[in-house]
Amino acid sequence: MNFERLIQHLSDSGVEFVVIGGWAAIFHGSTHVTNDLDICYSRDKQNLRRLAGALAPFHPRPRGFPDGLPFVWDATTLANGTILTLTTDLGTLDLLAEVSGIGTYEEATAAKKSAGRPKDLLMLPELEGLLEASEDD
Amino acid sequence: MDALLPLTGEDLARVVERLRNPKPGGKVEAATQFGVDVTLLIEQVKLSPADRARRMHSLAMAAESVRGAATKTKHEL
Repeated sequence: MNFERLIQHLSDSGVEFVVIGGWAAIFHGSTHVTNDLDICYSRDKQNLRRLAGALAPFHPRPRGFPDGLPFVWDATTLANGTILTLTTDLGTLDLLAEVSGIGTYEEATAAKKSAGRPKDLLMLPELEGLLEASEDD
Repeated sequence: MDALLPLTGEDLARVVERLRNPKPGGKVEAATQFGVDVTLLIEQVKLSPADRARRMHSLAMAAESVRGAATKTKHEL
């Protein structure tokens, strides 16, 4: 996963997005290692075109998709789905159009809790500890 | 949404102090009891957000490298 190159490339391409998930937690100080990049992106038509164009050189395909099965990567594909779990030349990338909890760190932590997945629940004590330590007086 | 900036000066000192000496019954204490190594968190919060990500990226790459070597060895046996 070359997350830095991927994020830089999306930014340079004018894509409107926010980093969420494990990498967002790392930006806040989490020590959990993650292998994929999760981003939430704007559904604006122009942004869909930019995102499709930006990722095209890195050959995105749905993870687990059978080899040889045709897959068209374009803005229409992006418009037709709200969650795409992709493999690319730069690593695995999850594109989410809608995520509850985007906004504040507190809301993101609440979203992890409400998701209820074991992998999310394992991160909660660390995230809540970091949140408490970072609170203003 | 506020920009995520490096912690410096009094802000950093306050966060480190709260991690080192958690308040009783608080979330930091709960994290410690859960098994979170707070000393690692302290090292992370001392870095800028970008450097936190670069450090974890480096660790992920190292883990991937070791896993690749282990898989290769297993297939050679």
